[in-house]
Amino acid sequence: MYPSLTIPVPDFLDSIPVEHRKDPHALLQILIQIQHAYHHVPKEAAKRLAEEMGVPLVRVQGLLSFYSFLSPEPQGDYVIHFSDNITDQMLGNRGLAAHLCQRLGVKLGETRKDGRVSVHFTSCTGMCDQGPAALVNYLPVTNLDQERIERIADLVNAQIPLQDWPPEFFTVKSQIRRSDVVFRKPIEPGEGIRASLERGGAFLAEWAEDLAPSDARKHHLERGGAETLKEIYRSELRGRGGAGFKTGIKWESVRDAKSSDHYVLCNADEGEPGTFKDRVLLTDYADMVFEGMTICGHAVGSKTGILYLRQEYWYMKEHLEKVLSRRREAGLLGKGILGTALDFDIELHFGAGAYICGMETAMIKSIEGRRGIPRRRWPLPVHQGYLRCPTVVNNVETFAAATVISAKGGAWFAHNGTGQSTGTKLFCVSGDCERPGIYEYPWGVSVHEVLRDCGALDAQGVQVGGPSGTMINTREFDRSACFEDLVGTGTLMIFGPQRDMFEAVKNFALFFQHESCGLCTPCRVGTTLLANYVRKFEKGCGSPVDLKEMQNISGLMKTMAHCGLGQTANHHITESIEKFPAIWKGRMKTTEFIPAFDLDGALEEARNLTGRTDPEAHLAPDHAPMEA
Amino acid sequence: MSSSFFLDGKAIPFKEGQTVLQAAMSAGHYIPHLCWRPELEPHSSCRLCTVIISGKPFSSCTQPAMEGQNVECDTPELKAMRRAVTQLLFVEGNHYCPSCEESGGCKLQATAYYLGMQDNHFPHQFPVRVRDSSHPLVNLDRDRCIRCETCVRASRELDGKNVFAIHGRGIRSKLAVNSPTGLLKDSGISPEDMAVKLCPTGALTVKRVGFEFPIGQRIFDQESIATLELREYANQEAVHG
Ligand SMILES: Cc1cc2nc3c(=O)[nH]c(=O)nc-3n(C[C@H](O)[C@H](O)[C@H](O)COP(=O)(O)O)c2cc1C
Ligand code: SF4
Ligand code: SF4
Ligand code: FES
Ligand code: FES
Repeated sequence: MYPSLTIPVPDFLDSIPVEHRKDPHALLQILIQIQHAYHHVPKEAAKRLAEEMGVPLVRVQGLLSFYSFLSPEPQGDYVIHFSDNITDQMLGNRGLAAHLCQRLGVKLGETRKDGRVSVHFTSCTGMCDQGPAALVNYLPVTNLDQERIERIADLVNAQIPLQDWPPEFFTVKSQIRRSDVVFRKPIEPGEGIRASLERGGAFLAEWAEDLAPSDARKHHLERGGAETLKEIYRSELRGRGGAGFKTGIKWESVRDAKSSDHYVLCNADEGEPGTFKDRVLLTDYADMVFEGMTICGHAVGSKTGILYLRQEYWYMKEHLEKVLSRRREAGLLGKGILGTALDFDIELHFGAGAYICGMETAMIKSIEGRRGIPRRRWPLPVHQGYLRCPTVVNNVETFAAATVISAKGGAWFAHNGTGQSTGTKLFCVSGDCERPGIYEYPWGVSVHEVLRDCGALDAQGVQVGGPSGTMINTREFDRSACFEDLVGTGTLMIFGPQRDMFEAVKNFALFFQHESCGLCTPCRVGTTLLANYVRKFEKGCGSPVDLKEMQNISGLMKTMAHCGLGQTANHHITESIEKFPAIWKGRMKTTEFIPAFDLDGALEEARNLTGRTDPEAHLAPDHAPMEA
Repeated sequence: MSSSFFLDGKAIPFKEGQTVLQAAMSAGHYIPHLCWRPELEPHSSCRLCTVIISGKPFSSCTQPAMEGQNVECDTPELKAMRRAVTQLLFVEGNHYCPSCEESGGCKLQATAYYLGMQDNHFPHQFPVRVRDSSHPLVNLDRDRCIRCETCVRASRELDGKNVFAIHGRGIRSKLAVNSPTGLLKDSGISPEDMAVKLCPTGALTVKRVGFEFPIGQRIFDQESIATLELREYANQEAVHG
């Protein structure tokens, strides 16, 4: 067996600091460590953790059954997860996965009998501009092709440890193809937080007010925070995580909320398929992100920031920890930042594979060590968020923008963009184009312009904002990306003329079915019914009645679902019916209804029981229209 | 001081801290609900209680009542959607009402009647779910479970036991039992638990007392779920204020 998997479980648990082992909030983080050490969470580890933390075992099991990257059952020494976004599929991931399975003699979704290897699919891993991608033992491997697959099969069969695999397999490129005013000349570390502190006079040699030194220090700190908040207002910054909420309003609510502790959470879950800007920001501009969190801490009066990173970005852990300790050494984090009265530090927390954990209240629960189920809407996180304390949740890119605003001023920032969407935005471009990657534009750029710049003028459609966003066809390419028109996370997945848009619809439908948290009825059942209808059309058995039904269910989800996932997990259905009607029409057998229920198939059990194999035991073919 | 909001145009008084649903129920206006119970923390999962406020949907069981707001509740669209959501609950499970001992006392069934549900409409999913009859006195039939987590909350908040939890995700999530074997017989459940009493469906039932009342004399043969719930709520308010 792979040597690292053989440490005795009690020894491993003993090596985890006892204060962690007794803290239920650390449950998820510890389970991730165990998963990485053993490629599953052994029963004895789950039991002992439950005992030490004083939580019911059923709760530990609840996490194992919720997060895709945790498994109660043993996995192979090598665990391979193929990213299964539509962009990976367009680059042939399915064929590559099948080939690897064949070479390794393992079935998809299973572990080989000798325990050597398991192969799975997983939702988009955020490598869409360099796919097809996979995770091998939780580390990304990019640009997969036939040759790499052969090599991987050899390496696995020869039991070569991961550190001896060719390093270029694990290269993740940033591919920033276009920079605008922000990233042409990025903010230097410290520039933003210094400006924020300066606004209150924190570095003045003499105190302006007639106060005792310690009071004066506090006073200057307070005033700087208030002034920075004004700059955020002036910038009219809106959240980059999708919903576009005004950042100034959010920060002010937290600043005003009475509580001994306030928290600053940075959302790096980046689960929306096709989105990878946060990955690039955290790779190349982590300082700007951490600094934005620090500035927020200053503005809202918080001492603690947490960066919540999706499991797929585990490989960045070391890099980010280095940046954090460098910032501590430079006096940009920790106690008494830049010699002022400002205290602020940042911890890293990881997710374990659940798209819903990007939804802010689900993320809060995940950071608290629970299943990532969205909370009820009231009270809002700004009043009662993490540990029931007032909490800011912002996207990675929003914090980076806050750094720019603090350094250069709100007015400078607001100068770019459109009326209701100020500043610039990072766009994630993937799919059928010559130059996939990150593009910085002022808000308001037209889809056409992006397509021209990335080399995709023959596109037949673009999915803007990920599966939960908007599907557009050629007639809409003059629409612009901004909160007034095509909102979203700045994600463009491009479909060339050779593509069948139905494949995208199917990919999205299955994605949402897989990622629905299951809390509320409309989403839990609706995503399944929609996915089943899509499968029915895939077999060529659709009918106009089914299209109507799908639209009904979509409307039901929009109004009745609890959170944004369910409310938007139907856009791909309604929009493809409207904008790409041919993909549905071509999959109808008649203009009448055909039941999805397979009468003949239902008799299979009876046939098995009675041992009948003769034709008479089957219904006439016209009664057996399709497989269910 | 009394404040009020408008429910389909009618003024509804409310006390500070009340939700739209609580205030409506106090005023004698039933809003359909399945996961909400007056004695438990709200859960906002079934979504039946959805109302429209300023053009946006909210679950009334969690939405705080606010002075002067206009709440749309009994519109034809919302009624149709509540019916559809109830149909979703039926097709995702296996509800064989005629042979179910809860029939006539089941809140899911009674709500369906109240909402004028004539059929299940959507394609049945026929899920395969494991029944747990291991306990001598309490039966868990997951086929009938709507994952409202009433039992989860009641066991935690009222019984102080934590017997239940939800496992899994999405359509495959299921009710799990906290015991070394995962079976009810090895859990701390007892038939007197509020978790058992409050389950709105036939998922959690007490054994040996099935089919107590003949058809015609069952709970919801006598009165609608609206009448029953409003009366129970008024009684509870009279006791607890
Ligand atoms: C299903 C779902 C997934 C989400 N995923 C993310 C995500 O990965 N990253 C993110 O920043 N926001 C995500 N959001 C939005 C967050 O709930 C929240 O609005 C955002 O983090 C707030 O930050 P902002 O104001 O800076 O955008 C998601 C929302 C939903 C409903
Ligand atoms: S909409 Fe979907 S993801 Fe959101 S709470 Fe409901 S079931 Fe969970
Ligand atoms: S067993 Fe009953 S109370 Fe518990 S979740 Fe299922 S339906 Fe709700
Ligand atoms: S009663 Fe409000 S969502 Fe169930
Ligand atoms: S009648 Fe049995 S579950 Fe409702």
